[in-house]
Amino acid sequence: MKIIAFYQTKFGELWEKSLTSLIKEAIFGVLKEANLEIDQVDAIFFSNMMAGVLENNLHTSSKISEIIGKNIPIFRVEAACASGGIAFHLATKYLSDNSKKTVLIVGAEKMTDYSPEETTLALAAAASGEEQEAGLTFPGLYALMANFYLQKYHYSEENLAYVSFKNHFHGSLNPKAHFQNKLTIEKILKSPYVAYPLKVLDSSPISDGAAALILTNDAYLIKKSKYSVSVLASEVATDTINLFQRQTFDEILATKIASELAFKKAKIERKHIKVAEVHDCFSIAEILAMEDLGFWKKGEGGKNIKELSTQIGGSDLTVNPSGGLKASGHPVGATGVKQIGEIFLQLTKQAGQRQVKNAKYGLAHNVGGSGGTVVVTILGS
Amino acid sequence: MVSPVKIWRRQKEKREILGKEGKVISWTKIYIAPNDFKNMVPYPVVLVELEDKKKFVGQLVDYEEKNLKFGQKVKAVLRKTRNVGQEDVIPYGIKFKPI
Amino acid sequence: MVGIVSYGFYLPIWRITTKEIASVWGKNYLEIENSLLVQEKTVSSSDEDSLTMAYEASSLALKNFSEEKNKIKFVFFGSETPPYAVNPASTILAEFLGLKKDYLANDHQFACKAATGALIEGLGLIKGGVFDYGLVVASDKATAKPHDALEYTAASGAVALIIGKKNVALEILDFFSFSSDTPDFWRREGIRYPSHGGRFTGKPSYFYHIHQASTLLFEKTKLKPKDFNYAVFHMPNGKFPQEVAFGLGFEKKQIEKSLVVLHLGNSYTASALMGLVSVLEVAKKDDLIFFCSYGSGAGADAFVFKVTKSLDRVRLPFTLTAEKKKYIDYPTYLKFMGMI
Repeated sequence: MKIIAFYQTKFGELWEKSLTSLIKEAIFGVLKEANLEIDQVDAIFFSNMMAGVLENNLHTSSKISEIIGKNIPIFRVEAACASGGIAFHLATKYLSDNSKKTVLIVGAEKMTDYSPEETTLALAAAASGEEQEAGLTFPGLYALMANFYLQKYHYSEENLAYVSFKNHFHGSLNPKAHFQNKLTIEKILKSPYVAYPLKVLDSSPISDGAAALILTNDAYLIKKSKYSVSVLASEVATDTINLFQRQTFDEILATKIASELAFKKAKIERKHIKVAEVHDCFSIAEILAMEDLGFWKKGEGGKNIKELSTQIGGSDLTVNPSGGLKASGHPVGATGVKQIGEIFLQLTKQAGQRQVKNAKYGLAHNVGGSGGTVVVTILGS
Repeated sequence: MVSPVKIWRRQKEKREILGKEGKVISWTKIYIAPNDFKNMVPYPVVLVELEDKKKFVGQLVDYEEKNLKFGQKVKAVLRKTRNVGQEDVIPYGIKFKPI
Repeated sequence: MVGIVSYGFYLPIWRITTKEIASVWGKNYLEIENSLLVQEKTVSSSDEDSLTMAYEASSLALKNFSEEKNKIKFVFFGSETPPYAVNPASTILAEFLGLKKDYLANDHQFACKAATGALIEGLGLIKGGVFDYGLVVASDKATAKPHDALEYTAASGAVALIIGKKNVALEILDFFSFSSDTPDFWRREGIRYPSHGGRFTGKPSYFYHIHQASTLLFEKTKLKPKDFNYAVFHMPNGKFPQEVAFGLGFEKKQIEKSLVVLHLGNSYTASALMGLVSVLEVAKKDDLIFFCSYGSGAGADAFVFKVTKSLDRVRLPFTLTAEKKKYIDYPTYLKFMGMI
C-alpha cells in the first residue's frame, strides 16, 4: 500500500475556520493533490481528540458524511495526541483486509475557540484522574520527566532550549507552520515558566489545523499517481496512563517497543533513516524520543542536541523539518497525520526550502499523553 | 463539579495512601493551571515513592524552597484538592508534606 | 473508671502576628497585644478545613491507641466551622480513618464548647456500658470579619480524644454543665462571619457561665482550687482565662501551662482542649486538673480530671511541635482564609 497524496491547512490561530471547515478544506485539498474525486474514496478515518469535551461535538462520522455527501464507512479515532498516528495505523489495517481500496485519513483540531484554561482542562483528559487531582497539567507531567532527566544526566535547561531553537529554524522554512519566527537560546531561556523546568518556549502551542492523507492499495491508482511512498511499517505500543506507574521516568517505554517492532518490520536500520518527525510536544519529549527510538544513546540526548546535528544540513538525520509540534503547531488530532505527511513530502522531494537531500527512508513518531500510546511509522520511497 | 458518586467511590484508594511516608523521585512547580487549581499557582507537585515501593503524585504543601529536592522525605496528608463551586461536594484527597 | 485513653492534636504551621494585622489597620500593635494578650495566632492553609485538621488530630490519637481501631463505636465531631451546613463531617472523618460502618456518628455545634458537650454525651455512653470506646474531636478554622477585634484571635486547630474505660490515661472524675440563653456571639444561616455583643461577651457571658459551672462542680465534688495542680479554661484571649481563674481562687502558676492562646490564638472548640494538651505534656500521675470550657449562646462544661500512670504511654510533646511555625503576611492570611 502507498501514500499518494498529502494536504494540510495552515496551522495557527484560524479564527475564521470552524472544525467543520477545517475538515472540509483538508478532505477536498488532499483529493485535489491526488487528482481524485470523492467517489473514489472507499472509507475515511478521522482523528480528533477534544471536540467532544470542548464543543460537545461527537458522531463526526456522520458529520463528515454530510460534508462529502456520501454514505461510505467513516471511523473516528482518539488516542489523545496520538490520534493521527493511530488513525493512519487503522487505515493500513483496513487496507490489509480489503484489496483495491482507497482510504482517506484526515485529522483536525479546533482549539482556539476556548480560553487557555478550558483548553488545558480538555487536554488534561489525556491524563489520569489521580494526576488531574494532583493539579498536574500536561506541561506538569513532562516537567516531572524533564526535571528527572536533567538531574540524572547532569544537564541544565539550556540543553532543552536547543530543541526549540532548531525547530523554530525549521519552522521559518515552512509556510504552513504556526510560527515562522526564529528564536534565540537566550529568548527561550528567558521565557516564563509553565511548569518548572519547562518554559513557554519549551512548549508546543495551542493551534487549529487539519491534515489529510490518501492511502491506497489500488495498483492502477498507484501507477497513475504522480507521487507515491510505501508504508514499510506502522507499529503501536501502549503503556500506563499514570506516569507514576511507569518503570522509569527518563524514557517512554512505548516508544522503545513500537520502534523496535517498526524497524524489524521495515527490515531497515536506524542509520537508513535520513529524516524523521518526532513528537516534540515539549522540548524534553524530543530528546527522550531520539534516545527511545534508538538514534541516540540513553542519557546523551542533552549533549547531542546542543551540537544541532539534527538540524537541516547537519551531520545526523534531520529531525522535525516541518518545525515539529513546537513551531509548526500542534492541533492535536491533526499532528499525527501531518507528521506522516511531512515525511511523504520529504521522500517525494516536495518539501521546498526545507527539503532534506537524498532521503530514501523516513520515520514518524506520534505520542499520546505522557507516553500512554505511541505509533511509529516508517515510510520508504 | 466533581461527581459525588466518583468522590464516594474513590475514598478507599485515598485511605490506602494517607499517613504513608516516602521520598521525592521527581518534582515540578506549576505556574499555569486549569480553573480548578488556578488560585493556588505557583504550586509544586511531587512524584513520590512510598515506603511500600508504590508510587503516587500530589501537591507539596507546607513547604520551603529547600524542600524541592530529589530524595526529600515526605508524608501523605489529607487536604482539599480541586476548587469547586459553592454548591458542590467538597473533594478531599492526597497531598504531601515535607518531614 | 472512665476517661481519655489516647489523644491527638493538630496545629497548622502558619502564623500571623498581631503586629502584622495591626499594621494593616494603622493600629498600635503593642496596645492590642497588651489588651488581648495574644501575640500571634495559627492560620490554616487554603486547602485545610475543620475536617482535614480533625483527621490529622484523630490519626495521631489512633497512633497511641493500643486497641483495634474498630472498637471505636461512636464518632462525635464538634465545630462551629464544619465543612457543610448539612452533611455530617463525623462520617467523612470516620471514612478516612478507615473505621468499619457499625458506629454512631454525630456532628455537634455549640460555639466553642461543641466538643466538650459531646464529650459528656460520650461519657454517658461509656459509663452506661453501651460502647467501649469513642472518638470525640474538636476542630475549627475560625473566621473573623476584617477589622473586627476577633481578627487578632480567631485561629485554627484540632484536638481529638479517644475515650473509654480501659487503659484510661486521664480519668474524668466528675463534670458539671451549666446552660442558658445568652446571645453574646452568634452567626446566622448563610452569613459568613459571626457577630458578637461587644462587652456583653464578658461579664454576663464568659465569666458568669464559667464561674457558675466551676463553682457548682466544686460544691458537687467538695474540691477547692488549691486541691488542683493545673487549671484550664476556654481562651478567647489571654486576659479572660486568667481573670476567671483568679476570680475562682486559682493562682498564676496553676494556669500558666495551659495559656497557649498567647502564641496560638483561639481555635474555638479546640481552644480549651489545646490548653489541656499543653498541660498533659508535663502532668504527673495523680495530678488533678480542673477544666472548664465555654460556648457562646451560652454554656460552660466544667470537668475534674485525674492523671493516671497510663498517661506516660500516650503523652505527646506539645511545646516543640507548636514551635514548628512559619509566618505569613496579611494578604496571604486573606488568601488562606478564602477571603480573596
